[in-house]
Order: sequence, then C-alpha cells, then structure tokens
Amino acid sequence: MGLAAAAVAAALVTLFALLLVAILSYRDASNTARHAQQAIASANQLETLALDLETGLRGFIITRKQSSLKPWQDAQARYPKQVAQFLRLASDNPKQAELAQEVRLAIAQYQAAFSLPVLLFMNRNPAPARQVINKAAGPHRLDPVRRGFKKFVDGEQKLANERNATARHTARVAIVLGAVSLGLAVLLIVLLILYLARRVARPVRLAAEAAGRLADGDLTSRVDERGVAEVGALQRAFNSMAASLERGRRELEEQNRKLRESEKVKSELVSSVSHELRTPLASILGFSDLMLQRDLDPADRRRYLELVRGEADRLAALLNDLLDLQRIEETGVQLTREELDLSKLLESQVVLYSAQSDRHALDLDTDDGCIVLADRDRLAQVVGNLLSNAIKYSPDGGVVHIEARCTGSRVRVNVRDDGMGIPLVQQRQIFTKFFRGDAGRRLGIGGTGLGLALARDIVEAHGGRIGFESLEGGGSTFWFDLPLATAGAARGVGLSDSRRSGGGS
Amino acid sequence: MTRPSVLVCDDEPNLRELIRVSLGPGWTVHEAGDGEEALALARSLAPDLVVLDLMMPRLNGLEVLSTLKADPALARTRVLVVTAQPASEVEAREHGADGVIVKPFAPEDLAELAVRLVG
Repeated sequence: MGLAAAAVAAALVTLFALLLVAILSYRDASNTARHAQQAIASANQLETLALDLETGLRGFIITRKQSSLKPWQDAQARYPKQVAQFLRLASDNPKQAELAQEVRLAIAQYQAAFSLPVLLFMNRNPAPARQVINKAAGPHRLDPVRRGFKKFVDGEQKLANERNATARHTARVAIVLGAVSLGLAVLLIVLLILYLARRVARPVRLAAEAAGRLADGDLTSRVDERGVAEVGALQRAFNSMAASLERGRRELEEQNRKLRESEKVKSELVSSVSHELRTPLASILGFSDLMLQRDLDPADRRRYLELVRGEADRLAALLNDLLDLQRIEETGVQLTREELDLSKLLESQVVLYSAQSDRHALDLDTDDGCIVLADRDRLAQVVGNLLSNAIKYSPDGGVVHIEARCTGSRVRVNVRDDGMGIPLVQQRQIFTKFFRGDAGRRLGIGGTGLGLALARDIVEAHGGRIGFESLEGGGSTFWFDLPLATAGAARGVGLSDSRRSGGGS
Repeated sequence: MTRPSVLVCDDEPNLRELIRVSLGPGWTVHEAGDGEEALALARSLAPDLVVLDLMMPRLNGLEVLSTLKADPALARTRVLVVTAQPASEVEAREHGADGVIVKPFAPEDLAELAVRLVG
C-alpha cells in the first residue's frame, strides 16, 4: 500500500517537474523572441543612424549651410551609444557578435573612407566635393553597411527561429511526458483504488457481513485474518469477539441444559420418591388396618408387625438417603476413619444381603488382611449399594460375585452380576445424582437414583476410585479401589477428613 | 361352588402377602413376582382375577395388561390394577383395566372391589 502511494507521489512529482520544464521552455522561447526583436530593433536604429549620417552629409554638401550638418552631427553624437547597445545585444551569440562587429567596421570604414574625408574636402573645396557626392551615389557607399545589417538581422531572425523551435520542441516533449506521467499517475491512482478496494474495502465489507450474520445469531461467523495492517487487526479483533460471544453462548446453553436436566431429574426424583414412599406405606397402612380390623392369631399378628417394622425401616432408610445427600451437597462427606479389615466388612454385608434375597446367590472371594483406613458405616453403605444393585438388576437365580484383591498399596473390590447390563447411552450418567436407568424406571426396580452418586462421593472421599464395566444384556461389574492402611498411613492421611462432593455428573 | 382364583402380581413380597391376606380366605391365590411370570401364569391358570402392580421388573405392568386384554383365551379374566402413581389410573383404564386401586389402599376396599369384579 505504501509502495503504491509512493509511486503515485513520484508520478505526480515527475508530472509537475515536466510541466515546470515546459513552462520554462515557453518563457525561454519568448525571452529569445523578445531578445531577437530588441537586437533587430537596435540594428534598425543603427542602420537609420547610418542613413542619417549619409543624408546629413548630402544635405550639407548640397546646401553648403553649416546648419544642414546638424542631422549628421546628431547622428554622430548618438552613434557611440547606439553601437555599444547594438554590440551588447549581439554579444549573446558569437556568430551574431562577429556579424555586429562587421557592421560596426563597415560603418567605421564608411566614416573613415568617405564621410570624414568628404567633410574635410568640403570645407576646403565645396564644388568638387559636391561633384564627388553627386557622382558617387551615397546609397551605394552604404551598401556594405546595409548588407552587414541584412546579414545580422537575418542571422538574428534565424537564431530566434532556431531557439523558438528548440523551445517548442522541449515544451512539446515536456507536454508529452507530462501527459504520459499524468496518465501514469491516473493509472496508479486507479490501481491504488483497486488495491484499497481489494485489500481494505472488501475485507471491511466482509467483516461487516460477518458482523451482520453474528447479529442474526450465527455465532460461528468468522473472517479471514490475513488482511494487511489495521485491516488484519480489525479482523483479528472481530474473530476474537465472535469467539468470545460463541463461548459465552455455549456456556449459557450448557448451563441452561444442565438446569433443564437437573429440573428433569428433580421431577423424576419426586415421582421416584413418591413411589418409594407409597410402596412401604402401603404395607404399613395395609397390615396395620388388617391388625385393627381382623381377628388374627398371635403368630400372624407378630409376623405383620415385623413386616410393618421392616417397611418403616425402609422408609427411614430412604429418608436417610435423602438427608445424606443433602448433607453431602452442603458440607461434603464427613468421615470417621478407623483401621478395618475389608474382608470382614464384605462378609457381613454379603450375609445381610443374602438374607434379603432368597433368589440370588452371593459368591464372596477375598484376599486376607486387606486393612483400610476407612469410615465403617460409609464403606458398608457403598458395598451395600453395589450388592443391592447387582441383586436388583439381575435375574432370579443369578449369582453375584464379590471379590477383593490386595495388590501393592491398594485394594480393589469387584461386584459382578449377570444382569441386564447398562445401555451405552446411559453409562455416562450412571453416577449422576437422581439418575436412574430406563430399565430401572420401566421395570419398577426400586431406588432413588442416589445410591451410586453417594457411593462415588464416599469412595473418592477415601482417596479411592469407583467405576464399572458393562455390556447391555451382558451383566455389569462395578468396582472400587482404596489405598491400603499402611500406604495411607505412610502418606500421612489423617483419621478424619472431609471433602466437598464433586458435583452431579 | 368353587372358590374364585386370583393371580397376585407384585415384585414386593410384602405387598403380595398384604394383598393375599386382604382378599381373605375366599380365594385361591397364586403369586407372580415380575411381569413375565405374571403373563405366563395368567395364561396357564386363566384366573378369575389378576391383581396387577404397574411397576414390576422385566415386563411393565401396562404391557402385561395390554397383552392379557388382547388374549381371547383370557376374555373372562378381570384385571385389577394396583398402582403407586395416582396419575396412572387413567392410563391403566385406557389399557383395559377393569378396576384400579391406588397404593396405599385399605384392605377392605381391595377385598370389596375384587369381589365386585368377579361377582
């Protein structure tokens, strides 16, 4: 861009220089013409003066009056000044100067050879002098002078013409060059305009169009950033603005999506909690009514009371889950750690859950001496949740395998079932609070969608990890691992710590 | 006169027991713990009444209901739906339920409704 501007400036400077040359040439030509006129005028005056000399002389000779000599005397008096002026005007050209000298010599010769001798002779012998004058015609005596003037004037004229022609030529060349450089300048300006249009106007127009698309909501709108200088800066600024807008909107959309998702899980939770409350309530109210309204034998009465009690426990557990969740959401998982034998904890949970389901076999296989530094109740809650899920989501007669393996500084617990597995699309959300798989909801498998979310919070609070492998229709293996007590102690883990839960997904 | 037969379908053993006891001694009671079992037993027994929980493992109660109602061999079998969701009553009736009762229910109400349906 700078280069083009410099070229235009250079062309314009050249243009003005050439115009100046043309103007100067014209002035030179007119100066020459004026000078020539002056020189010719001076020559004419001098010639007149020479004729005056001759005329005066003739008049004097004819009249013989001293008064008649006056024109001659005047001419004689003016002669030196006039000849000096003439020589000066002729001096600018050597050839003309030479011609002028010839003229001066011719006049001097006329004076010396004729004028002055005739005057002297006249004063002594007027009659013969008159004869001489009459005989020798004056004009003929001035012929060399006349020829000299003619040659000078011709020379001057020719010189003037030559100079004029040169000046005209120079001016013409200057005008042609000027026109060419004007054309060049126009061309360069046009090119500059095209360049500006291409490199400035077009990118700016494209940026304006992109801004329009942006305003219409297309936040992916971007411009090519390869523009020159300020245009490039504008393009980069535009792109960065568009990127920031797009990012902002994506974040908002993501937040919005999360909000809607959380609204959805909350309403599912309400429906789920409602179902979970109604089922035990149905048993409690139903059996209570039966005991109030019918005569029952003591064994049945006791049995129904036990059922009522069991269902009340279930309600309490549900309530605890909800409160637990709320507490973890607010303050993180609070742990009361102690050294405990994981195999024993697994055994007691297996016994508990075997008693709850007579339709499933629970197969336990643990390494001995897996000592962990953990919160007994919380860890039991995690194991219980995994066992209950394995039982709930596998067919009657299914076997649930539980194994614990100590390797290095960690212990890993696997709970494997032969159940329905988890569809791929739902695997990502399995640890999301309140999330329940389609199967769970469709098939009416009890649960609040809180168990695994709580389990993850608890395991992670212990410095462990939790995960699963599952194939739809091919069973699931849920696992968690924990640092062994020695490793934990070596790392200086305290007897109690807490941690904020890690959000809902 | 033979006692009417009833198939009680619920995944909760406690509720099956509650329903059985609520119905009283006048019934021959069979039980199913999930939807598929319910369908199989209903076909083999052709009971007078099916008491059906809507939310069961394996086969949803509504699907069981539709299948039962579509089976000409079970034309005289009445279906009493038990649901924990009051909102699903309309849906259950649309699927052909002869009666709907919402958990929690009074045992006497269930017994009366059951007798009325088969009577």
